[in-house]
Amino acid sequence: MHEPTQAQPALPELLNDGLARVATARTTDELRALEREFLGKGGVIATLLAAVPSLPAEQRRAAGQGANELKSKLAEALAARERELQEQHLSAELAGASFDPTLPATPPRTGSLHPLTQVTRELEAIFTSMGYAILDGPEVERAYYNFEALNIPADHPAREMHDTFWCDRAGSLVLRTHTSPVQVRAMERLKPPFRAIVPGKVFRQETTDASHEHTFHQMEGLVVGEGITVGHLIGTLKTFLREVFRRDLEVRLRPGYFPFVEPGFELDARCPFCTKGCSVCKQSTWIELCPCGMVHPNVLRAGGIDPERWTGFAFGLGLSRLTMLRYRIDDVRHLLGGDLRFLEQF
Amino acid sequence: MKISYRWLSRHVDLTGLSPQELANDLTLHTAEVEGLHAFAPVLERVVVGHVLERAKHPDADKLSVCRVEVGPAGVAGEALQIVCGAPNVAAGQRVAVALAGTELPGDVKIKKSKIRGVESNGMICSERELGLGDEHNGIWVLPEAATIGRPVLASAPAFGASGIAGALDWVIEIDNKSLTHRPDLWGHRGFAREVHAIRAAALRPLDLELGALAQRARTGQPFDLRVDSPACLRYLALELDGVANGRSPDWLRFLLLAVGQRPIDLLVDLSNFVMLDLGQPNHVFDRRNLPRRSIEVRMARPHERLTTLDGIARDLGPDDLLICSGDAPVALAGVMGGDACKVAPDTSSILLEVASFQPAVVRRTAQRLALRTDASARFEKNLAPTLAGEAVAHFARLLAELQPEVRATSLADAGAWTDPARTLPLRPARVRALLGCEIPDARIEEILTRLGLGVVKRTSGEWDVRIPAIRATKDLTIEQDLVEEIGRIVGYAAIPERPLVAPLTPAPRDERRELVRALQDRLSGTHAFHETLSYSFLPEPLAAQLGVLGDPCVEVVNPVAEGWQRVRRGVATSLLGLLEPNLRHAPVVQLYEVGKGYQPERANAHGEPLELHELALLCAQPRPASGARHDEGALPRAKAIVEDLLRVAGRPVRTWITPHEASAAHGLPATLPPWVHPKRCALACGEQAGVVLASLAELDPRVARALGVASDVAIASLWIDALLTAPRTPVHYEPLPKFPGTRLDVAMSMPAELPAARVEQAIRGAGKELVRRLRLFDLYEGEKAGPGRKSLAYTVELVAEGRTLAEKDTQRFLERLAREAEALGGELRRA
Ligand SMILES: [Zn+2]
Repeated sequence: MHEPTQAQPALPELLNDGLARVATARTTDELRALEREFLGKGGVIATLLAAVPSLPAEQRRAAGQGANELKSKLAEALAARERELQEQHLSAELAGASFDPTLPATPPRTGSLHPLTQVTRELEAIFTSMGYAILDGPEVERAYYNFEALNIPADHPAREMHDTFWCDRAGSLVLRTHTSPVQVRAMERLKPPFRAIVPGKVFRQETTDASHEHTFHQMEGLVVGEGITVGHLIGTLKTFLREVFRRDLEVRLRPGYFPFVEPGFELDARCPFCTKGCSVCKQSTWIELCPCGMVHPNVLRAGGIDPERWTGFAFGLGLSRLTMLRYRIDDVRHLLGGDLRFLEQF
Repeated sequence: MKISYRWLSRHVDLTGLSPQELANDLTLHTAEVEGLHAFAPVLERVVVGHVLERAKHPDADKLSVCRVEVGPAGVAGEALQIVCGAPNVAAGQRVAVALAGTELPGDVKIKKSKIRGVESNGMICSERELGLGDEHNGIWVLPEAATIGRPVLASAPAFGASGIAGALDWVIEIDNKSLTHRPDLWGHRGFAREVHAIRAAALRPLDLELGALAQRARTGQPFDLRVDSPACLRYLALELDGVANGRSPDWLRFLLLAVGQRPIDLLVDLSNFVMLDLGQPNHVFDRRNLPRRSIEVRMARPHERLTTLDGIARDLGPDDLLICSGDAPVALAGVMGGDACKVAPDTSSILLEVASFQPAVVRRTAQRLALRTDASARFEKNLAPTLAGEAVAHFARLLAELQPEVRATSLADAGAWTDPARTLPLRPARVRALLGCEIPDARIEEILTRLGLGVVKRTSGEWDVRIPAIRATKDLTIEQDLVEEIGRIVGYAAIPERPLVAPLTPAPRDERRELVRALQDRLSGTHAFHETLSYSFLPEPLAAQLGVLGDPCVEVVNPVAEGWQRVRRGVATSLLGLLEPNLRHAPVVQLYEVGKGYQPERANAHGEPLELHELALLCAQPRPASGARHDEGALPRAKAIVEDLLRVAGRPVRTWITPHEASAAHGLPATLPPWVHPKRCALACGEQAGVVLASLAELDPRVARALGVASDVAIASLWIDALLTAPRTPVHYEPLPKFPGTRLDVAMSMPAELPAARVEQAIRGAGKELVRRLRLFDLYEGEKAGPGRKSLAYTVELVAEGRTLAEKDTQRFLERLAREAEALGGELRRA
């Protein structure tokens, strides 16, 4: 049993001394030390409590109570001081904290979708929301689908408008000059009524410069049904343009010649980039957006569809051109050039 | 095709219709207008000058020094000194002066200058310098009434009807492509008919009857005319005597100049005028130089020669149609006349040829000789044979108006032609149904009539529409063509827009597109790859570098450039071509493309080559430092990406096999593309063994060297068609462990050649059902592993279902693993 070797100070003094030291402690380490000194094993309180049994019986209760009271008051003070110190510490940290958002940080490695893919997906979403199926066709195409089935027989001068890449001397295979061959392929596969779009790569044998490419992307649209009229064509393309440009654009149809439609049109829209003429619209305030027309009866027949019962319309959107308009790309050759410095921007 | 406003007004009343409105009308109703510009606007920039004095140049015989008044009369100091080289300049003349700073046609800018030491403050202009003609022997002398100091243009009234005022015009340029189907629009008369229909403007009558002329032209013996080829449908030969060739009147010269045709002399100008007026090409021979009084139209013999008007001797063949006199070729039919019989300034007796040729024959010859002329372009459009007769009458009438003394002495007309005019049925109700617009019958009839078509109404409600020859050869052949005529003249702006109405049914699921999108999103998102799209051509130098020059491929006959004939067999080769250029700018290249390749040796019954839909990806990075982790190279990285992609595709990799195994076990072709590293490559299979879903390889070091690439490069291909046909592995959730398990590391020393999959199999086997996760965290293949050995270290997570894992479970696992390792010729080193 531990015997006090010297007289213990009176409890109130102990309390005052303890509270004063807690109140002036500056760090949590100091608090830990005080905790050990007063509340720890062999500390002041433990010593006091250990001495209780040796006290006369009538003092024990009071002494025990006094020691426990001292213990709880000191513990409370320690906890309060600790909270206070933490608060001070946090305030100091907050006060001293700063962040320069303009300081460069290492960017994460990111990838990108090709701009043509992004525009194509957007257009696909618009058309699929209007019930169109998305179809596909071969890039190495039979001359039959690229020309004959589209009412462009051999020797037709319109073939020259196409600057065709021929894949054999016999003239039976070509690199498709437009996405239109899928029109008759679709008719052979689908029963009318139907609506479909065909995004894809097309080829023209021509010299390349900033605005001409021998390989580019188009999107064909085809609707076949009963009672389809020019009015439906206008309505459809206006709706589409509203979705793409996110506002109403004035449009006009004017005559255009394509052997696989009759009547055939060019659809122009008011230049979305200016009001008085700019370089995009070549100062005309109109931009030529899409050749279109009512499907020629010969084309319907080639697809096994009775042109007396069914009518339809078709249109061709220049995906490369729309992509260039969207991102203000001034050189078409960037699109298929595969330069990372270009691709990374999208 | 250029349309002159002034020229057009000879045919149709343009009162109240500005050139701008006219261009807009044609745009909306007829054809594509490419431009509208004023002709001879230079006359606004040159001013009327008054030559006060002409003196000889002190230092040059042929030059004179003039004092020219260019300000209002009587204002002193407005007289300029101008040096002039023209012989006809004289004091008192009114002349056209280009002041310093004025721009003249041909990019000439007038400056103050010194000519042989004498100061000159402008230029006195000739017609040619102003772009008004060829006259350059002297300056252009203006009428006395021209107001000094004002722009020449402002004095237009002073020149009279055929003078300078006749030079002012507006020119509308039409895109020829939009006229491909309209042979009737290759002359001004056709456009006049359009304006008549669009605006209801009065069309001036034009008498094109041949009858009266044929009656008159009987004084001489007609030419002996023989048409020996069906390629010539009709040939008319009109003989005219008493012609005084020379300079054309100004009105004619200015009209031709306006549409870009250089005036030459009356006969040539008139020939051109008739072509540009009616759209019918024609040719004038000087009769003196025709060897015989006969014309024969026949195909050329092999290597027969003719020197054309441009002075070039042409080597001809049996595909070319010739006009001969006797047996001597005198013109290349429909393309260009011969040099020997061209008209000269003193020509007085001519033979006018107006003919109809088969479009295909003319086109072939023009194409083969690269000699596209105004004539051949028109014949290619399929002109009606009736137009030839009209053109003869027109030429004769125009010439007679200018030179009444000219006599038509003979006319011959031969050829087995028929009038293409025809009748088409038309249902007015069909017009309304197709256009979606209420157009009354009367309006339909009015439009057709104005376009020159005849309408006969039958009692059935169906109409017979008479199509005149000029519209019958090409564009008006079916009812729907008539619908277009009505639609475009009414104007498409009049058609109300309508929404499409149809039952709401979802489009069928498009698995291919869904799969491609999922893969694109995963690669561009998670894996930070950049998508690219490439040309379908595989350029020869790249094919050589990749070692695939000998591979069969679709080849274009007419490549866009030398060596660009190959169509790619797959997508990977395109990406390899992008490697070196991109590595110049970035140390890490991560690219992919989804596209198609074509394999002609596997063509279908229609001769279409096999189409392969492929996603190819390429990753290039600096070579890992020695001592780098085993999975830091491009190949293991690409492998992990392929595994992730196939998981996203719903067809996770079950096995990786070598091409050798694939060939031995599944009979797949054993040959590898030359760019594939022969040892560091593998094929991924899904649930079906032997069906390859993806292939993976490091770049062959020899090909890398040929490409000039030193980086660590891996390339992989996912075969979209194989993926789509492979069974999908359903994703089922794995229950979360309810009881705690344990995690321990094991190190194993194993034979170097043993595949890691066998080691993993051993670990899983040793753990029975307890192994939940397994991860290789270290691979050591260096010297300290011992000869023929490698050291593999795994973290193994053991979990027992339904109970807490006990100490003895781990013990038993390790005991079994030690035995398994030994069985494989290795040992368990450490646990
Ligand atoms: Zn604009």
